[in-house]
Amino acid sequence: MTQVTLTVNGKPLSAEVEPRTHLADLLRETHNLTGTHIGCEHGVCGACTILIDGVPARSCITFAVACEQAEITTIEGLDEDEIGAELREAFQKEHGLQCGYCTPGMIVAARDLVLRLQAPSEKEIRTAMSGNLCRCTGYVGIIRAIQDVIAERRARGIDAIPDGGRKALGPAGSGHAAAAESAAPRKETAAAATSKTVAAEALEVDPDWKPQTSFRQSFTVSHSPAEVWAFFGRIADVIACLPGASLTSESEDGQVTGEMRVKAGPIAAAFQGVAQVTRDEASRSGRVIGTGKDTRSKSATRGAMEYRVKPAPDGGTDVEVDVGFTLTGMLAQFGRSGLVNDVANRLTSAFVQNLEARLDYAARGGEGEAPEPAVAAELNAGALLWSVIAGRLKRLFAKLFGRG
Amino acid sequence: MSEQGVGASLKRKEDDRYLRGRGQYVGDIRLAGMRDAAFVRSPIAHGKIKSIHVPEEYRDRVFTAADLDADGVKPIVAVSGLAGFKVSEQPVLAFDKVRQVGELIAMCIGESRAEAEDIADAVEVEFEELPAVHDMLEARKPGSALLHEAWGDNIFLETQIDVDIESAFDAPIKITREISTARQCMVPMEGRGTVATWDSRMEQLVLYTGSQMPHIVRTGLSECLGLEQTQLRIVSPDVGGGFGYKGILLPEDICLGWLALRCGYPVRWLEDRREHLTAGANCREHHYSITAYADRDGRLRGIDCEATVDSGAYSSYPFSACLEAAQVASILPGPYDFPAYRCRTYSVATNKCPILPYRGVARTGVCYAMELMLDAVAREAGLEPAEVRMKNLVRPEQMPFNNITHKHFDSGDYPEALRRAMAHIDIEAFRARQRKGEPDGRLLGLGLSVYCEQGAHGTSVYAGWGIPMVPGHEQATARMTPDGGLELRVGVHSHGQSMETTLAQVAHEVLGIPTDKIKLVHGDTEYTPYSTGSWGSRCAVMAGGAVSTACKEIARLAKAVGAHMLQVKPEEVELAQGAVYSQTGRVTLTEIARTWYLRPQDLPKSVDPRGLEVTIGYKPERDTGTFSYAAHLATVAVDPETGDIEILDYVIAEDGGKLINPMVVDGQIYGGLAQGIGTALYEEMRFDGSGQPLASTFADYLLPGPTEVPAPKLDHMETLAPYTEFGVKGIGEGGAIAPPAAIGNAVNDALKGFGAELLHSPMTPRRVLEAIAEAKAAGTATRSDEVVS
Amino acid sequence: MKPVNFDYARPLDVDGALALLADETALVKVVAGSQSLGPMLNLRLVQPDLLVDITGVEELRSFEESGDKLTLGACITHADIEDGRLPDVTHGALPSVASGIAYRAVRNRGTVGGSLTHADPSADWVSMLAALGATVTLRGPEGARHLPVEEYMLGALEADLRPGELLVSVTVPKLGSGASWGYYKSCRKTGEFAHAIGAMLIDPERGICRAVIGATETRPLVIADAKGLIGDGDPAAFDSKAVTAALTEAGMRDPIERQTHSVALRRAVEGARGR
Repeated sequence: MTQVTLTVNGKPLSAEVEPRTHLADLLRETHNLTGTHIGCEHGVCGACTILIDGVPARSCITFAVACEQAEITTIEGLDEDEIGAELREAFQKEHGLQCGYCTPGMIVAARDLVLRLQAPSEKEIRTAMSGNLCRCTGYVGIIRAIQDVIAERRARGIDAIPDGGRKALGPAGSGHAAAAESAAPRKETAAAATSKTVAAEALEVDPDWKPQTSFRQSFTVSHSPAEVWAFFGRIADVIACLPGASLTSESEDGQVTGEMRVKAGPIAAAFQGVAQVTRDEASRSGRVIGTGKDTRSKSATRGAMEYRVKPAPDGGTDVEVDVGFTLTGMLAQFGRSGLVNDVANRLTSAFVQNLEARLDYAARGGEGEAPEPAVAAELNAGALLWSVIAGRLKRLFAKLFGRG
Repeated sequence: MSEQGVGASLKRKEDDRYLRGRGQYVGDIRLAGMRDAAFVRSPIAHGKIKSIHVPEEYRDRVFTAADLDADGVKPIVAVSGLAGFKVSEQPVLAFDKVRQVGELIAMCIGESRAEAEDIADAVEVEFEELPAVHDMLEARKPGSALLHEAWGDNIFLETQIDVDIESAFDAPIKITREISTARQCMVPMEGRGTVATWDSRMEQLVLYTGSQMPHIVRTGLSECLGLEQTQLRIVSPDVGGGFGYKGILLPEDICLGWLALRCGYPVRWLEDRREHLTAGANCREHHYSITAYADRDGRLRGIDCEATVDSGAYSSYPFSACLEAAQVASILPGPYDFPAYRCRTYSVATNKCPILPYRGVARTGVCYAMELMLDAVAREAGLEPAEVRMKNLVRPEQMPFNNITHKHFDSGDYPEALRRAMAHIDIEAFRARQRKGEPDGRLLGLGLSVYCEQGAHGTSVYAGWGIPMVPGHEQATARMTPDGGLELRVGVHSHGQSMETTLAQVAHEVLGIPTDKIKLVHGDTEYTPYSTGSWGSRCAVMAGGAVSTACKEIARLAKAVGAHMLQVKPEEVELAQGAVYSQTGRVTLTEIARTWYLRPQDLPKSVDPRGLEVTIGYKPERDTGTFSYAAHLATVAVDPETGDIEILDYVIAEDGGKLINPMVVDGQIYGGLAQGIGTALYEEMRFDGSGQPLASTFADYLLPGPTEVPAPKLDHMETLAPYTEFGVKGIGEGGAIAPPAAIGNAVNDALKGFGAELLHSPMTPRRVLEAIAEAKAAGTATRSDEVVS
Repeated sequence: MKPVNFDYARPLDVDGALALLADETALVKVVAGSQSLGPMLNLRLVQPDLLVDITGVEELRSFEESGDKLTLGACITHADIEDGRLPDVTHGALPSVASGIAYRAVRNRGTVGGSLTHADPSADWVSMLAALGATVTLRGPEGARHLPVEEYMLGALEADLRPGELLVSVTVPKLGSGASWGYYKSCRKTGEFAHAIGAMLIDPERGICRAVIGATETRPLVIADAKGLIGDGDPAAFDSKAVTAALTEAGMRDPIERQTHSVALRRAVEGARGR
């Protein structure tokens, strides 16, 4: 817990909060200022908009501890505010509200427009209000009300203040306070949960299972199909090529257990699970299919890696690798599927690069320095991979678009 | 017209508290000792629960199905009486199997929501995953995985209507299309929420929950928890939008009620947006395989349709799983008159959230399907879309009209609505500009759609459907206070509709009491008469009718007292402007009220003992529903390079009968339009093949904002409804019904040069570009532009 | 939707921040305005042990104009740029792009450094700053590093930060007097994540003609020498076939994606020419 001191609606306010407490919760739960509404808790809907140091900001994604000594104004603090009063009257006249839930955020955001925009067009008002969602009014009355208040104020000779009066640089609410260090209650349970290992158990492989997302990569290596095929038989070596993967056990019947750590920027997941390895000598193809669960993100994945080994037309071996996966839980439901795909694609590419390197090393008879896996611990192979693609693209772009 | 009565655009009584942030929503309720609940929910769409592991330290703060079972808590069952309906039991907490992502598995109590979530995170559930049923058309096929194994298939209900369809088969024009609408979420800005506490003085479980139907929640909850209804009080405080989502009984409501009983302290659960999008609030998702038969002059000969609705995993209370599909067959013909019709419908169970009511239930989908078909007929016949509609709309001289599915259209002039909408646009100039092309390369299109909306339908309609809730007489209590004020008590509940104002206007119209002295009491089962609540565009008609009827009775009672005070016979007095008049004198209602309550010694022995308080029921003369209607016209510009669609102009000509408060009606239409635009262009809850919902934030589930919704031109017709008080018609949902069709037709009009046609909403930029690319690949384009590279 | 518990620290100088980042036993996240990290914390997609709030560092909330460049501290907000609280050396490019980022209430706290480090390919700054030829300065236990903005992003949500490193500033070169720029983003609605971005800089004085295609699923594509795209003032010179071919080569498999990105770039080029 940590002490936070703010000025709220002109009065000093102190509270003991956890660092994870956002401003909206502090105002609502600790100080009963329930006019600040929570509509999405991810900064899109605008219902929680309040004034921090005089300018509008999202209270649901702004942590109270980060606003030490800041000046906060909520809807309750606009009772005597001149623009607030004019907006209230105009909203009522133009029927700019129905259920009233988005209204406090609307008034706070609208006040900022009235203050800052000298003579906005209707379109400019709409754009400037686009950070506040209303599900009831179709915005018609809201926009008219704001237009009316701006027009009336300008007619009375009150000019806009384009920067809203803010002179300080940096995030509104930040930069007032001294250094701070505060500890949250220790997360015993979370730590305990992540360290728990999933017991290996019989894995049922559904032959019809199809991954939701899959990537195919192929490459050619110089050594013989037999050597490559043998390499794929050494599951520990193959797993070692997968960035972030580690093997904890391997049984006779092709079942392995292990962990797969994936890191995508701030998101870190450690999938623990089991996999079944099958190989078909005749077609020189094989499959590793597994399931894993990440306790932190409450997500699970089921994945498969299939490979086919064929003689290359010009000698050597063509290797084709399909990597597919299905995510469930939080990570899957975090839309923006392109982002997850990019991570998976990079993962697959790094895997293939590592495979190539290992195979090369094996082909040289394991002499010289063993290749460093592109990434041993976690995926951040982007740079390595990118340097290859970027070099190629640079040449291509120069050819296509350059002059001289 | 009085300045405060029916027909006045009175400023709203409820505004001030909202504008100052003093509304009281569920999340604003503070009870001493209250704790927060969070749920462990299924991360998978379909699977068997193998084990639930609760860490030792949390054993007393985590509860599972076993705990509910020990107390005899029953699952939610919502049966339809329609023949062949298959029954599902929605467990309050899942015990053997989960059938949707987000299904409740355990409830956890914390000192704060954050702590409750910490505990929920520490609970481990092991599943055996089963194949997910995520595509309703696949789910209908034999061999599909099954949700409810005992059924043998995944069909909740199958219905069919057939009126002489074979007579249409020889029509010269026959057009077949596959049309579909996406699954959506209702997204009121306030999510669901419940605070539960045991009131030991009243010996009542009190549930504060944002609900459109507190009485129905009480009835359903009492069945599940095994409590007498007198032991339950449901309070619905200010409600931050509902749109249908708050017109159901949620398993969470039952959980919280049980928790309060079990724990002895108040508990609170506030749905967060992630829960709303991924776990609770699904609606729409229709598929139509539809054929239109028509003559060359555009006259419809018949419609033949197979409609499938994705009903999700369970039948939800009280509207049941066939809420949408069962209505589709009866309302698909829309405002049109044609001789032959067949429609088969399927309500299909899938591993998704149960389908729930959303503004314009079933109507938005059928309007989209039917109106897209009319434009396809127009293109085929080489006619203007308006001409085809004029040929087929029910004509005013046919009113009242019983249509092909026996809907009783009560009144109106449908062609006039279309003419009025078109009168706002210079159609010829628009067509000329469209042919000429825009300087920026965008393509213009114009689209129409016409619908009629059955609202406020009552006993006769719902008895046939046989769901747990059948509306009967709507009751209202009117009670004068000793100071001459008036209290109104109704069982419907406002979630933004302005009833504190509009029902006061109704009372004012009858009694002449100033609206600021009229107080509406609603949203509390303890203080209001039983009602099925706010849904189906019924409040203005039903609660308005009930308030009017009750106030007329108050008028009679007050006149009798007034006559005595004026020393004349009751038939010799009139009530006007808040006072009772005789030839010679006048007493105000305030004086009458003071006399009744404070000076009974001045009243005769024969005075009516009911005093100045009545509770009375109301039903329209005919309860098959009012039929408001409208014509929508949209013009759009489509960017063929990016697929972006801009709405240039939007016109709505509608007939809501008598408008109690025109400003409020306009607001309902504007808001409905915004939601319709969401359906048309933005909102879509996608699922992957394993049944995972693919949007958990507003970054993925797009709601229209101020720049996406234009201010439309509105034109009101006000043909009085023949069977209701004041001639009022229900209009609450109408705005949301027609926009996808009007915008869809406008987009298709813009793309006609490519021979491209979009048949799926939302019409996203990607779908526009895909339709253009497909049309070009098929060689149907009459344009030669090189746009798709 | 509340975050997991975490510790919080607010150092007052960069060295203090680096000392906190050096803890390898804990998952440490740097936060400035919390407008990107906040939602991910609330969703528990990110579960840090310690949050290091760098907005207390004065140096990171300041700027420096010198010679041919402007250096912005990592905690300069979008609104600071939009409102002109620092000089504009880009002929309006930075204020214009800033004013189109998300929403005003977000811009009042969201920072340039945070946006670049969050490494969302759909964000505006990475594309526009890449077009302008901006660089980032990172400080870490090994000293300082400078990288072009586009190289700082490794891929979706992945910035090139070595253990213990912190982005401290962004340096934007001053444009030549005859320079012009164009920026086009394709969004389904105002403030939404972009689906395609085109950015263009034509700066004859400095001999620069650079194009950027952004809002791909990964880092933006920079065409360092894009003279071929603008021709000699001939609007038809934009070769969309060549651009889509390049996008194919860059791994963009979907033809519709290629088309919208190509169109975005063409419109940015047109914008630059018309300016």
